[in-house]
Amino acid sequence: MSQEDDYTFAEGIPLAPIAPGTTVLVAGPPFSQAQQFARSMVVSGTDSGEGALFISTTMTSNRLLEACKKVYPALDTDQIGVVDCTGQEVGQADSDIAVKYVSTQNDLTGIGMRFSALYESMYAAASEGRVRTALISLSSMSMYVELRTLFQFAHTLSARIDSAGGLGVFALDPDSHDAQTVNTLSQIADGRIEVRESEDDADGELRVAGLTNQPREWTSFRLGDS
Amino acid sequence: MSYRILCVDGDPAAREETVGSLRTELADIEPVIETAGSVAQAKSALTADTTVVITEYSLADGTGADVVAAADEVAPDAGCILYTDVDPETVDTDSFRGSVTEYVGKGSVFAVERLSQLVRTTIETGAQRSYPVPDSEGSRLAALRSYNLDSDELRSSLDRITNLAASHFEVDIASINIIDEHSQEFLACYGDARDWETMDRENSICTFTILEDEHVMAVEDVREDPRFASRSGGLIDLGIQSYLGANLVTPSGLVIGSLCVYDDKTRTFSANDKAYLRELAALAMEQIILHARLDSKIVVDGGEQ
Repeated sequence: MSQEDDYTFAEGIPLAPIAPGTTVLVAGPPFSQAQQFARSMVVSGTDSGEGALFISTTMTSNRLLEACKKVYPALDTDQIGVVDCTGQEVGQADSDIAVKYVSTQNDLTGIGMRFSALYESMYAAASEGRVRTALISLSSMSMYVELRTLFQFAHTLSARIDSAGGLGVFALDPDSHDAQTVNTLSQIADGRIEVRESEDDADGELRVAGLTNQPREWTSFRLGDS
Repeated sequence: MSYRILCVDGDPAAREETVGSLRTELADIEPVIETAGSVAQAKSALTADTTVVITEYSLADGTGADVVAAADEVAPDAGCILYTDVDPETVDTDSFRGSVTEYVGKGSVFAVERLSQLVRTTIETGAQRSYPVPDSEGSRLAALRSYNLDSDELRSSLDRITNLAASHFEVDIASINIIDEHSQEFLACYGDARDWETMDRENSICTFTILEDEHVMAVEDVREDPRFASRSGGLIDLGIQSYLGANLVTPSGLVIGSLCVYDDKTRTFSANDKAYLRELAALAMEQIILHARLDSKIVVDGGEQ
C-alpha cells in the first residue's frame, strides 16, 4: 500500500509510488530508452517542487538538460542539479542549473563530495527536502574504476539517499557486463526495473523485480513528448 | 552490539559540539564516541572495531585524507565522513587515493541533522563497505554466534573434512571458513591454509560465496573475475588461482561460512564437483550442530537444545 510521502511518477510511467529512501537499478541496453526512462523518473517530481539531481557520465549538463526537456518541456531548471563528470565543456553550462564539474570519472572522491554538497543545497531548497537522484550510468563508470570500488561508491551514494529519504535511480546496461558484475551491482539497489524496446508504438516496456506492488510482467510505458 | 565513532577535529569546542549533538541524536543506539585533535591522535584511537570516522579536513599535522587512509588500513569496513567548513571544490581529492568518503558541510543549516542521519545509515547499512552482505546479515551473525566453535574436538572433526575435500579435488589447500562481521576466520585447514591468519572480509572470496542462492560458487581464475581481479596478486601469493566454495547452512537457512578448495592453477569445476563439495559442506555443518547439541545447554540456531 502506498504512503502519502511515496515518490510518484508522471502519467505514462506505469510504476506504483515508491517509498522514500529507495534506490532502484534501471537496466536496459542503450537503444531501449533505459537512460531516458531513468531521467524521466527523476524529473517527474519537479512539478511538485522536488529536486532532481544527476550524476552524469555520458552527457554534458547542456545535453542532459536538452534530453530532460524532451520529456518535460516545461521543466523548471531551478530544481535541477548536475555533477557533470564528462570532462567536457567545463564551466559552459548555458542555463541557471546548479552544476559541479569533475574532470574524470575515476575521481570518485571528487564526485562523491560534489554530489554530497549539491545534495545538501538541494535538500534545503526542495519541497520538504525531497530530492531524486539519477546516476547515469554505472556502466560508463565501470570503464574507469574497478568493480569493488564502484560498488563501494554506489553503495555510499544509496546510503546517503536512504538517510535523506530521497529516491535513487541508477542506470546500468547489463549487456555490457558479465554476470558477476551485474549481480554485484544489483546488490546495491532495493529493486530492479528492466527496460526493453517495445514492439508496439509505446516508448518501451518495463518490468520490476524486488519492489512490492509493481508490474512483474512486461508493461508498456510512454515518456512525455519524446 | 556497540558502535564506535571516532570524531577528529583540531578545534576542541567544535569537536565537543559535534560529539554532544551525536550523543543526543543517536542516544537510542548508545554509541561509544572517541575523540582526537590531530592525525596522530586519530591513528592511536583507531581500532578494528571503529564503525564510523568523522573528520575535519584541515588538521594541524595533516588532513582528513590522512585520517581516512589510516582508517582504511585499520578498519576497512568503517565509514568515513568529512565534516568540514572547507569547500569540496578546494579539497585535494587526489590525496584520498580513490577512497570513497562522505562529505557534510559544517556551515549548512541542516549540518548536525544530516551528519547524525548519515552516521545512523552508515551504521545500519554498512555503507562504504566494498562488498555486499546478505539481506539476513543480522540474523546470520546471530546464528554464527549461537554456535560454540572454539573447540579442539570440533576442529579435529572438521579437519578430517578438509582433508577429504583436498584429497578428492587433488589440491594442496582446503579450509572451512567462518564469515564474521568484519573478517574471515579459518576454522579448519588443510595444507598451507594452516599458516593463514584472519583475513579482512573485503579480501575474502567466501564473502561472495555466502551470497549465492545455490550455496556453491566456483571461480575459474581470480585474475579474470571482476570481483577479485584487483586483489588477485595477494590471492595468487597464497596459492589461490581458482576456487570452489560451498556454504555452511544452518537449519534456518542462514549461512555462517564456507568449505573451500583452492588450486594454484586455472581450473574449471563440474556440476558433480559442486554437488560433492556441497555434500561435504552439509556434513561439516552437521558436525557443528552435533557439537553444539553435545556441548552444554547452549541454545543453537533454530531453537534446538
